[in-house]
Amino acid sequence: MDSLKEDLKKHIIEQLNLEDLTVSDIDDDALLFSADGIGLDSIDALELIVLMEKYYGIQVTNPDEGKVAFLSINTMADYIEKKRA
Amino acid sequence: MIFIGAEEIISPLGQNIEENFQAVCENRSGISLIPHAGFNDDSMHLSKITAISDRNKFEMLLINILEKVLKQIDPEIALSKKTITIVSSTKGDLDRNISSPFTDSINAFARHFQLANEPVVVSNACISGVLAINVAGNFIKAGMYDHAIVLGCDLISNFVLFGFQSLFAVSNAPCAPFDADRNGITLGEGCSAVVLSNSKEIFKKTAFQLYTGTSANDANHISGPSRTGEGLFRSVKKTLEQNHISGNEIDFISAHGTATVFNDEMEAIAFDRLEINEKPLNSLKGYFGHTLGAAGVIETAISMQMMRNNLLVKSLGFKESGTSKTLNIATENKSSELNTILKTASGFGGCNASLVIRKL
Amino acid sequence: MNSITAYCHIKDNVCSVNGEIFLQKNEESADSWFKQLYKELALEYPKFYKMDMLSQAGFLGSELIKKTNPGLLTDYADDEIALLFANSESSADTDIRFRESYLEKKTPSPSLFVYTLPNIVLGEIAIRNKWFGENMFAVLPKFTPDFFIQYGSVLLNTGSKAVLAGWLGILEGRVEVFMFLVETENKNGYPFDAENIRKYAGF
Repeated sequence: MDSLKEDLKKHIIEQLNLEDLTVSDIDDDALLFSADGIGLDSIDALELIVLMEKYYGIQVTNPDEGKVAFLSINTMADYIEKKRA
Repeated sequence: MIFIGAEEIISPLGQNIEENFQAVCENRSGISLIPHAGFNDDSMHLSKITAISDRNKFEMLLINILEKVLKQIDPEIALSKKTITIVSSTKGDLDRNISSPFTDSINAFARHFQLANEPVVVSNACISGVLAINVAGNFIKAGMYDHAIVLGCDLISNFVLFGFQSLFAVSNAPCAPFDADRNGITLGEGCSAVVLSNSKEIFKKTAFQLYTGTSANDANHISGPSRTGEGLFRSVKKTLEQNHISGNEIDFISAHGTATVFNDEMEAIAFDRLEINEKPLNSLKGYFGHTLGAAGVIETAISMQMMRNNLLVKSLGFKESGTSKTLNIATENKSSELNTILKTASGFGGCNASLVIRKL
Repeated sequence: MNSITAYCHIKDNVCSVNGEIFLQKNEESADSWFKQLYKELALEYPKFYKMDMLSQAGFLGSELIKKTNPGLLTDYADDEIALLFANSESSADTDIRFRESYLEKKTPSPSLFVYTLPNIVLGEIAIRNKWFGENMFAVLPKFTPDFFIQYGSVLLNTGSKAVLAGWLGILEGRVEVFMFLVETENKNGYPFDAENIRKYAGF
């Protein structure tokens, strides 16, 4: 699970062009879409949908599902685990 | 007083202003389905100029349009040191040189006409055209120049099309501004020009009076319109106040109307807050597509033609109201005395701009 | 009288404010040059990391000017500060990266595409400070003091009381940023004329 979270952070940094951030800058439970987290927005949500398909083979077709799944690194990792199970 | 006239357009609808206005009067659209145009080879609805080859198209359009403009004014104006040329464009000719998308085309264009002053490029997303006209007017008002030629031009490129596709912002049918079923933009390409001057004598046809307007930022989001229409509200409010024009005096609004769900909703909210939502309004995107940096100039030019002909042209693509605040969208062409028009634009980066034009 | 009341430079490896060095790039650091500046300014604004270099440059310049001239935040209404920026490359730095995303990586990147307009930096600064004032981005063949004088004066005559202006040269790792503040009611400055702009720009 921890390596999944590490990988996820690496992919997010690459996919969202956040080169100035390192894996250690992103907390597992930080709210990604909050200004206190890393302040992602609806455009970044599009990138996360691309990321889910590209690296994990998961198609997020329901936007509401994405909203819940993309809250934090923890929720994204849970979501991936569940989809894989 | 600042005068504006000599409007010209080159678009898929025609090679000059007469052909373009004729097409608009007949409610014809320049949009067609272009096979294999999109990312992943999908067919796309686009308003694309096919009469001019793609090589150096941006430069050719600028040269062609200015040649047409010079027939409408005293041609000496173009060479004068007291004339500034302003080009409004978002992407210039980026396929020619991505590192410097304006330099080659603008240099060649300036050399062709031996312009006395280096052209200024205003690149401010989709408000570039309206902003460029305001900038030109302000230069003249301040006495820095006597005349200004404003040229708006943008091309369709894979770059721009794939970009809007990546945002899921492209409509799968010809765009339908303000309609309940709207679901995105249709890209267009075009070139348009207007001339501004402190003298009405330079114009061969009747000129109009330009009331230069203001721009305002939403200070909200770089790619999403404000939910409250704040920037557009502020821009129009200031434009009217600074020119001592009341909302009641406006006969017609030439709106931006891109046909994305959020943009059109934002405009409806702003016009409602301004209490001008009962004024007749149209978006011309259904005719020309969204021509980005050229849009503000094209739409100002068509608005001037509407005033010349006292004809309110319908908002193509609109069927049923699809905004939370009601607007008075033109559903039919209609003869109407048009003396004062408001032109607005909004764009990425949270920018908004507006201006007013009035019959002399 | 209109005066230049503050200015700053960000170059490839040095940043200065009003002519005094603020920070030199630490070549050993794992952080990018702009991230080093961000850290030095001790800001808490995570959105910074999402910006492209053009927006980061304008953002950092505006923070440096606010730091040396805090009155910018207190002395003006939210629509009285105009933003007037220019360069000669437009958003080419990010345009090249967006083109790579669809030509080489085969997926056009929405988060890059939204930065492929030069005026986005104006939006970023407006959002950061809740400034609703005038905006203008121009693309010029070269740095032209007269352009800033002409349009800066127009803005100050049409309702704006201060102009935050800047030249943002950003392309493929090269950085040539000069930003300055022009105020109407602050007398502790240098006359807003082409000679002074050329002098303080240094290029």
